[in-house]
Amino acid sequence: MEAISPYRIRLTVNGEPREASVPARRTLVDLLRYDLGLTGTKEACSVGVCGACTVLLDGRLVASCITLAVQVDGARVTTIEGVAEGEKLHPLQQAFIDHGGFQCGICTPGQIVAAKALLDSNPHPSEDEIKDWMMGNLCRCTGYYQIVESIAKAAAGG
Amino acid sequence: MVAYQVIGTPAPRFEGAEKVTGRAKYAADYTLPGTVWGKTLHSPHAHARIVRIDTSAAKRVPGVHAVITGEDTRDGGLWGRGVKDAPVLAYGRVRYIGERVAAVAADDEDIAQQALDLIEVEYEAWPAVMDPFEALQPGAPILHPDFNSYFGFKYKQETPSNIHLQTRLDRGDVEHGFAEADLIVENTYVTQRQSQGYLEPHALLVHIDPADGRVHVWHCNKVPHNTRGALAVAAGIPEERIVFHPTFIGGDFGGKGNSRITPIAYYLAKASGRPVRMISDYLEEFLAGNPRHHVIIRLKSGVRRDGTITAHQVNYTVNTGAYAAFKPFGGIGGANQAAGPYRIPNCRIESTFVYTNLLPGGFVRAPGEPQGVWAIESHIDEIARRLGMDPAAFRLKNLITEGDEAPWGEQFEHIRAVETLQAALDASGYDKPKPAHSGRGVAVGERGTGGGEGTAEIRLNPDGSVVLATPIFDQGTGTYTTLAQVVGEELGIEPRRIRLQVWDTDVIPSDAGLAGSHGTLIQTSAAREAAQALKQELIRLAARQLEWPEEAIGFSAGELRRADTGEAVPWADLLKRTGQSVSGRGHVVAPRSHTTAFVAQVAEVSVDPETGEVKLLNFTTAHDAGTVVNPIGFQGQINGGVMLGIGYALMEEITIEDGRVTTLSFGDYKLPTPRDIPPLKTVVLPSSEGDGPYHIRGIGEAPCTPVAPAIANAVEDAIGVRIRELPITAEKVYAALKQRGRATEPAAQPAARGGAQ
Repeated sequence: MEAISPYRIRLTVNGEPREASVPARRTLVDLLRYDLGLTGTKEACSVGVCGACTVLLDGRLVASCITLAVQVDGARVTTIEGVAEGEKLHPLQQAFIDHGGFQCGICTPGQIVAAKALLDSNPHPSEDEIKDWMMGNLCRCTGYYQIVESIAKAAAGG
Repeated sequence: MVAYQVIGTPAPRFEGAEKVTGRAKYAADYTLPGTVWGKTLHSPHAHARIVRIDTSAAKRVPGVHAVITGEDTRDGGLWGRGVKDAPVLAYGRVRYIGERVAAVAADDEDIAQQALDLIEVEYEAWPAVMDPFEALQPGAPILHPDFNSYFGFKYKQETPSNIHLQTRLDRGDVEHGFAEADLIVENTYVTQRQSQGYLEPHALLVHIDPADGRVHVWHCNKVPHNTRGALAVAAGIPEERIVFHPTFIGGDFGGKGNSRITPIAYYLAKASGRPVRMISDYLEEFLAGNPRHHVIIRLKSGVRRDGTITAHQVNYTVNTGAYAAFKPFGGIGGANQAAGPYRIPNCRIESTFVYTNLLPGGFVRAPGEPQGVWAIESHIDEIARRLGMDPAAFRLKNLITEGDEAPWGEQFEHIRAVETLQAALDASGYDKPKPAHSGRGVAVGERGTGGGEGTAEIRLNPDGSVVLATPIFDQGTGTYTTLAQVVGEELGIEPRRIRLQVWDTDVIPSDAGLAGSHGTLIQTSAAREAAQALKQELIRLAARQLEWPEEAIGFSAGELRRADTGEAVPWADLLKRTGQSVSGRGHVVAPRSHTTAFVAQVAEVSVDPETGEVKLLNFTTAHDAGTVVNPIGFQGQINGGVMLGIGYALMEEITIEDGRVTTLSFGDYKLPTPRDIPPLKTVVLPSSEGDGPYHIRGIGEAPCTPVAPAIANAVEDAIGVRIRELPITAEKVYAALKQRGRATEPAAQPAARGGAQ
């Protein structure tokens, strides 16, 4: 590797200020998982189509596997670790548990972060709106039925 | 039906809080101080001699800790889940594009990749063979000249060939049966390669402790005891030196029972003296994974005008690819299923498994069965149409009923094929009028519950805590929830009081892990035995401590109760008094079941006559079940299985050009999304006939098998063309419509519709 001095970046992750030194090609998912130790965010397809690595960047959905760490300098990042308030689960998290919204759980952090972004902007989505919004989050276990149900139940207050 | 308190009641996921918060740890989430990254170099040739590998430049890259080739690993043993025919890293020759020929361990992935780029491999290209029928021709390149020396294969080659397994089963007299028929129908069906599609690529961390030489493994593996044994062989070390530690598994679908990178990570850890993490990226998963096999199924049936089947012949040719190592016994199912659960007195079933220079096939949910069911359930429809019978009525006439043998000779108990099909027909509105260009198709399947070994332990402590211990590494199907339900049912203990302890592979000598739709059967059986043993221990303790007569003591709802006086003591009080823990362990070895679970499905589609696009409008699935332990999990297995079947039917295909996989990402290989899922109607037919103490019939695999033929049959019903090669894409339907259009033009030649392709 050519010797390029790393970039110093500062960002807010789940409300906490964090700093890291990263090479230019470091992806956001690797920054989160391997530099900051936040392994709740998962990498699956690595090309931005499966949604497992979904995080919120200043409130907007991004695929962290195709976002560079240097792009998030100064930004606010929300990961799955920042969805619950302490020990109190977010209603989406509780609904996923209660209604079979996951099985193996590998896509679940991305599903819940994506669903949170939906409910943050549209608190009472229709089933069609849920399906359209969640198109970018693949799941092999559930066939999506119980994911859609979990999101609808969370929106309806459990 | 037996009345239960907890079993049968919807149970939220036991490990739910961990999974929804990101706390659940998967193999790629583990790390140790000094961990380095492992990466592999893949062959660009389908078949070639390795003349020379020069790793000197790679070894000089700063930050590289080890570079290994097949020469460094060949002194161990061959790799395989049961049968062993795959080298850890190729040596001497490569047998498919994507085969791993060298590996690097480096400080980070970028350095590892840079080192891989500097490895020089000189190949001498050899003729390659991709088609299984060509591979059977005299003069075809032989992939495995040393086949007879391999471990585990029952089949022996008399002369060198590419066949590694061949079977023939004859029941009755098939020639006589054909002679009795009024009509002979012959068809050939073809299936594509399907990825397991788990979203967690294979990942592991291997650490060899320098103090005692023990090999510690964190790996997404659902059969860790089996893989420990395989690794011991490939590494040439005693099994007891290896320990697999529990992790969550990010999806399995048959693919997490084996991984080619497991022994490579071991050799890199050995060579580098560092803990090694390897994560296959998804490009590697597609390039060098172990997808569902490409199978060519030729069927020939004799029928009478009244719809009686007189004879049936199956010729099932499996394109194994370069290695059989990813199939525990070297084979897959499906050949028997290609005869169907029908009453057929004369039957011949032949299967041939053939090596070719392509990526090896592996296990995918119900290995082989979607292929066999695709063939028979398409074929049955075609026969019915030739006879002028309704396809559902033809099935109802011929499905096995109690007392019948399956065509392959198996005698099932408590057969409910007809009831299951009738339930699907009723729920789907099969006979209702349909708009133009829309149709309904039906298909049936069956899946027995696999056997195997399982262990569970329950421990009650004086501080009131409850520990449930299991050797199962969760791959998502809900085992921990089910185990907790048994504890609730038998001991009256609520899930929130239970602490789960997942054993590493040191704790017990062997375990079957998860496979073959047997999880619920084996785990509930083991947990119930553990609960029974625990109750006995508690009763003996109460008799000693309280000086109650042992035969008068019972245990229910968390209390020890003396029958003759009515005195009762909560178990926690008893243990507090004695200060000791009480535990019970259950160990079961369940045989393969004699019951099977039928599934019947109805697809309703519309087909665009201009483009050939198939839209799935509605889907109905009916299941012959035993006791449903957790309705949420049971439905989840059905939902996910149906979706996997829909992907298989309509969109999923690992495409190959000149031996090279061309679908190398989830952008090119299309998994179903929330928009591809039709309204689903599920009918469950529970019964008290099943296996184990709770009368279980497995549900993990059956839902995915009849989906594709149900859709193909619906397409023919909608628009009159028959697709015999999966997946059923718009292009294929369009081409078939065009071909039919030409065939109906007066000047055109008669098209070859019907009959063998």
